[in-house]
Amino acid sequence: MDFTLSAEQSELRSTVSSFLRKRYELEPSRSAARSSIGWQPEIWQAFAEEIGILAATLPEEVGGDGGGAVETMVIAEELGRALVVEPFVSTVVLGAGLLRRAGGSKARAVLEGIASGRERVALAIDEPDSYPSGYEVATSATRAGDEWVLTGTKTMVGDAPLATRLLVVARTSGERRDPAGLSLFLLDFDASDLPADVKVHSYRTIDDRWAADIEFRDVRLPAEALLGEADHAGSLLDPAMDEATAAVCAEAVGLMRKVFADTVAYAKERRQFGQPIGSFQALQHRMVDMHIELERSVSAAYLATLRLGDAPDQRARAVSAAKVTLSRAAKFIGENAVQLHGGMGMTQELAVGHFFKRLTAIQAEYGDADFHRVRYARLSDHRSRAATGEAGVRSGAVAVG
Amino acid sequence: MDLQYSPADEEFRDEVRTFLEENLTPELRRAGRLATSVYHDHEASMKWQEILRRRGWAAPGWPVEHGGCGWTASQHYIFSRESTIAGAPALSPMGIKMVAHAIIKFGTEEQKEYFLPRILTGEVFFCQGYSEPESGSDLASLAMQAVDDGDDLVCTGSKIWTTHAGEANWMFALVRTTRGPKKQQGITFVLVDMKSPGIEVQPLVMTSGEQIQNQVFFDQVRIPKKNVIGQIDDGWTVAKYLLEFERGGSPASAKLQVQLDEIAQAAANRPGPNGPLLDDPLFAVKLADLRIRCDVLEVLEYRNLARLSEGKNPGTASSLLKIINTELSQDITVLALEAAGPQGLAYQPHATMPGGPVHDHSPPQDGYVSGEAWQAVAPLHYFNDRAGTIYAGSNEIQRNILAKAELGL
Ligand SMILES: Cc1cc2nc3c(=O)[nH]c(=O)nc-3n(C[C@H](O)[C@H](O)[C@H](O)COP(=O)(O)OP(=O)(O)OC[C@H]3O[C@@H](n4cnc5c(N)ncnc54)[C@H](O)[C@@H]3O)c2cc1C
Repeated sequence: MDFTLSAEQSELRSTVSSFLRKRYELEPSRSAARSSIGWQPEIWQAFAEEIGILAATLPEEVGGDGGGAVETMVIAEELGRALVVEPFVSTVVLGAGLLRRAGGSKARAVLEGIASGRERVALAIDEPDSYPSGYEVATSATRAGDEWVLTGTKTMVGDAPLATRLLVVARTSGERRDPAGLSLFLLDFDASDLPADVKVHSYRTIDDRWAADIEFRDVRLPAEALLGEADHAGSLLDPAMDEATAAVCAEAVGLMRKVFADTVAYAKERRQFGQPIGSFQALQHRMVDMHIELERSVSAAYLATLRLGDAPDQRARAVSAAKVTLSRAAKFIGENAVQLHGGMGMTQELAVGHFFKRLTAIQAEYGDADFHRVRYARLSDHRSRAATGEAGVRSGAVAVG
Repeated sequence: MDLQYSPADEEFRDEVRTFLEENLTPELRRAGRLATSVYHDHEASMKWQEILRRRGWAAPGWPVEHGGCGWTASQHYIFSRESTIAGAPALSPMGIKMVAHAIIKFGTEEQKEYFLPRILTGEVFFCQGYSEPESGSDLASLAMQAVDDGDDLVCTGSKIWTTHAGEANWMFALVRTTRGPKKQQGITFVLVDMKSPGIEVQPLVMTSGEQIQNQVFFDQVRIPKKNVIGQIDDGWTVAKYLLEFERGGSPASAKLQVQLDEIAQAAANRPGPNGPLLDDPLFAVKLADLRIRCDVLEVLEYRNLARLSEGKNPGTASSLLKIINTELSQDITVLALEAAGPQGLAYQPHATMPGGPVHDHSPPQDGYVSGEAWQAVAPLHYFNDRAGTIYAGSNEIQRNILAKAELGL
């Protein structure tokens, strides 16, 4: 068992954190997020060219450095701590995860583009009338000769307005709620230059990111737009979604480290009744509870990260355990950081208000706590575990670390 | 012991219902339904105040000679509850429900004659200038300097978090006239004309993007002494008296019950893991839990009401009720946000009716809304409602009060 980072991983962490400290300030990043561009392209380019984080976790054959889950965790946590809005998880973790698994020359070209900072990928999966994250998909793709015809509406497609490619999950067979029968399609995309049969409504999200609702009206796609095997997108989506979930858990850890540190510092500095508010025991206990939630969260993020390579059920359970833990902590820490800042916590003047919004949004991303509780329960054979006395995160699979 | 209204109360309730039915336009109801905080759309709320005024119901809590209704405690409760259930916009609390009571109790005849009728018509609209950057929970430490200069007090300093300072033409404020060993002494309660030279209002942008609160800067602002309420240096007495009106008073359970009904209705049409979200056991249990808390709050409010009807002071019950209803309200906004699903993450203030302008948001040209209006309201309401446990004496402060006054600790 080992929870220390390797020398390279430590260096990666300090490279990312010192870059962000110098180059990523809250004010300009918020202004960019609220501008019509919505992000800072020059920062993205620096991610690729100066600190190499867009390639760090990609395979070597597409120009990457071959890093794994721990590298992703390290990067995501630092990005969280600086409240980076640029689309790291959706492009480098989820998008690249899907493309890597799908294989093929088209996917490889996009992966090379991701590594060099040219390409950004958004996954279109949720639909307005479907249970989120549940693979409930009504958007359909039907074969017409050599082509596919794509029809349906997607909602809350994260980062779509700044994406160069869309990955669209569509049903090629089965019923609406059937977990099988889904396929993945790769589309060139430019939200500012759309064909007549694609309608896009872009909007800002509550945490200053961008997303879109996208309507496909009988869009004709060439045969090679299909990634991987038809009807089998689930085998790509499951592991890639789990990786993305683990990455946002790590991001949440970074966010919480920052708001927690800010809150403790504020409590030492802010005076009422002639003393620092941090001297009131009611607030001391609250901050200790925040600290406990944070330690729980760090452990849960490790659990998810270190189980990503396991068999599907073990992987999924660990990731669900982490997302449930992180969602609860994000709510507790976010809300109490605001509360302890009093009126100042309600404004956009301090970092805490902005971090609170991201902590709120992250709870719903990649399945909310209820979704993951149910998935964890489904994957836990409570009865036989009780009978065999098997317990703990180390049983039944390879050792941690 | 029973939970029934008397026949007279039931008759009154029917009268109120009929009035609401006849007078609440869909537009006014919309302002209530799409509100993102306790601050409702200003215009709608003033329109409703005018309709109530014509019926003689704008200020039921005032003494009859000033335009009050002389209702029993039960009647007040019924009126407030029915108005909420019918979806009436909330009136600004600062004038009718707060400063007017200070004027009635401590004001001169001249002050009463000038302000009370104008508060009713909306010609005078008040904001509350208590908090300062360095004086929040510890209000009595306030430091806005007021120098005695002939017929005037000359004020320099700043007030912060002032709700609707932009809309208001008057402010009631606490200022420091004397600095002594006891911080509660030397405070003066004044009414300030917002058009006085030297006042500058700077809007604050809250998490939701809304600009309802403000920082108000005073630079040598002259306040005529005839606008002091009560005695110079004895403003704390007036402020303490008013605090009871801020904390206790209006029932919250009705509003919260209506919100839960709306969530239930929405969840019936939202997809859950197996059919409608409303039928998802995890969701249904959470909804039930909140409903139980609302039912119990309603009974707590009736118990409080019964005490008031006997002419007793609400005492620490107002702290208890404030804690219970603000925390319940926050938990309800959490469930609404959960029900809203992914579309609850879209920032769409243009689909809502906030209590003030929204900063840095340009609505889409085609007015597009992802999902439905209630889904756009959900995150903003969640953010804004965090204020419930901070203002009017934070919930930590209320717990301190209860520990001391109720438990003797
Ligand atoms: C939306 C909104 C609207 C408002 N409208 C108005 C208005 O119209 N007019 C006006 O005058 N004011 C208004 N206020 C201000 C409000 O009354 C203050 O925010 C409140 O009194 C808290 O003060 P503060 O913000 O300075 O926080 P602080 O007093 O600095 O408190 C910070 C934290 O410390 C805690 N704390 C402080 N003292 C203690 C203690 N002794 N024990 C334990 N914990 C403690 C608090 O509970 C809080 O969690 C408004 C505030 C908000 C958020």
